[in-house]
Amino acid sequence: MQRRQILKNIAGIAGVGASNFVLGNPIATLVNLSTQRKADLLVNAKQAFSSALKTSPTLLGLQNNTGNFPPRQLTIEGKLPNDISGVLYRNGPAKFERGDQRYLHQFEGDGMINSFTFSEQSITHQGKFVQTAKFIAEQQKNKFLYSGPLSQIENSRNVSHADVVNTANINVIPVNNEIWALWESGSATAMNAETLDTKRRVNLGENSQYGDKLKGLAFSAHPKIEANGDIWNFGLSPSGHIALYQLSAKGTVKNVGMINARYRGKMLHDFLITHKHILIILPSLTANSVNDSNAMALFNSFKYDENLPMQVLVIDKQSLALKKQFELDAGFAFHFGNAWEETDGTIHFDASINNNIGVMDELSELMSGKLRSLDNSPHTALFTLHTNGSTTKSSIDGDSEFPRVYDHLVGQRNKKLYTLSHTESNFWRDTVCCLDTDSGEKDKFVYGENFIAEEHIIVSNTAKEGEGYLVGTALHIPSKRTCLNIFKADSLNKGPICRAWLPYHIPLGLHGSFKAS
Amino acid sequence: MNSTLTTICSIAILFATPLLSAKTLEFTIDGIKSSKGKIYVQLFKGEGNYLSNKAYLSSIAVAKQGQITIRFNDLGVDDLATDGADANDLSNDYAIRYYHDENDNASMETNLFGMPTEGYGYSNNAKANYGPVKYSQIKFHLASQTVLNTSTIAY
Repeated sequence: MQRRQILKNIAGIAGVGASNFVLGNPIATLVNLSTQRKADLLVNAKQAFSSALKTSPTLLGLQNNTGNFPPRQLTIEGKLPNDISGVLYRNGPAKFERGDQRYLHQFEGDGMINSFTFSEQSITHQGKFVQTAKFIAEQQKNKFLYSGPLSQIENSRNVSHADVVNTANINVIPVNNEIWALWESGSATAMNAETLDTKRRVNLGENSQYGDKLKGLAFSAHPKIEANGDIWNFGLSPSGHIALYQLSAKGTVKNVGMINARYRGKMLHDFLITHKHILIILPSLTANSVNDSNAMALFNSFKYDENLPMQVLVIDKQSLALKKQFELDAGFAFHFGNAWEETDGTIHFDASINNNIGVMDELSELMSGKLRSLDNSPHTALFTLHTNGSTTKSSIDGDSEFPRVYDHLVGQRNKKLYTLSHTESNFWRDTVCCLDTDSGEKDKFVYGENFIAEEHIIVSNTAKEGEGYLVGTALHIPSKRTCLNIFKADSLNKGPICRAWLPYHIPLGLHGSFKAS
Repeated sequence: MNSTLTTICSIAILFATPLLSAKTLEFTIDGIKSSKGKIYVQLFKGEGNYLSNKAYLSSIAVAKQGQITIRFNDLGVDDLATDGADANDLSNDYAIRYYHDENDNASMETNLFGMPTEGYGYSNNAKANYGPVKYSQIKFHLASQTVLNTSTIAY
């Protein structure tokens, strides 16, 4: 036994970066339950959903998925445009049940990538689960092994770092010759762009000066990709610090920074860039004190505070230093469409904004088969940050979510904002909309209550706003099939010019990207 | 004469034996993924010393893929503390933490958020779980002559 002084203290083993999982609203009934009772809730959820599905086929999109979807050519209705060449990728939670248990929140499900490959005369679909470490381990045991941000598993395995429970289930972007499945609390997962086979967990700093300094850091699910290919992103630390990333189009690190946002809200989903700045918009969320036994129930770890203004942190893209800060009215937004900046420094951005986080409870209720209204839907608000420190806000009538702009206008002035809303359906978004942000005019197509519309994406070969197509999936409830819809981007109201059908439905997803050939 | 010497030696050995019984701790680490670098192990005596990073004893072993066992001898006697540990801490609690210094730079690598990026672990096979381990999870007593403790390293 040597007694030596040179041993470095193994200090600073910080808390796991798990407190910034995709989170939900506090579920009060969970707080004081025993672990056994919490586990029972998962059994109850499975039974309740199964029972509800028999009478409410509208729940189909949240059905559990047991396997991959092999490549299959879709049946085309209408004329497939010959100037769409590439692959539409989508990601979303798909594995909700194991054994007799069902997750209590949609966001806990393991991610599945669905791809739609466009050739001249056909569209081919395939879907594959992301083979994360968690997914592989649970597949082998055929049961849930880890507690999630809401669902508490009895005898859960320990979670020593966030990637242990990385579900890679939120978004997917093309990077170099791969695709990256994105979560928001841990690493990206690299996959083969053609086969959808999982390749590796991305260590951002590998083979760079950063080495392992970026390994396992939160890499959020809504990177902003500039016209030059640079990939900008952020990652939230449990401490309230925020890492900022600038990657090349090949996924190599160009610059990394860190700011102390002192953010206690635990969840930060999206952000924005202009041509000069990064905008980190902190919603009105704050820490919710919980006793130690509930430390893992992350949905209990934060709450909405109507007295807490939203903060906008304006960060210089070159130095990654905080330059300015603005306060906005209290609010919460999952998603932002775009930001842009005038020559005098005035900044404009849009948000799909809400004044509560009730939607998180509702998404949990859906998992148990309880249909909810869309009363808590956000709406589009257009914000201006003036150089004198003042702000203005203009709200657009109607609800809106999943905002998208043209790829070449990310961080540049956009006039069109594509979103989803609901018109006929009480439970789902059934309408695609293009808002002219200058005039306030809307161009809409209502799928109707028989459809559940998912995020639609702009596909265009030109750098001209308004040209090209809007492409997106929708689940047709009566026939239990998913279809892919292609609209002319400048005339949504005319309906899809082409519709391609699968013979079955695929799980409702979250976000995706188009990779042109 | 020879017999007398033998007797004297025996007496000397007898008196040299400490009044407190010295104990041995064998700490086994398994799941080591490579033979690169070294394994740094710290033994703490009492929670106060653990929280203030004052190791009672330290050990460095050459890493070996799979499993290694570290022995701490002569525990339980009134030993001089090292690394600034409080020698007056009469607690019989001990605790271990360790890490695998794969790149052999005598420090545990962490990422920008302060999370370890090299393998690490604790006595009682305690694991971090949505946060650091607590002392209560890793402490143990020298309850027998030879104490065995194990841990599977987490990378």
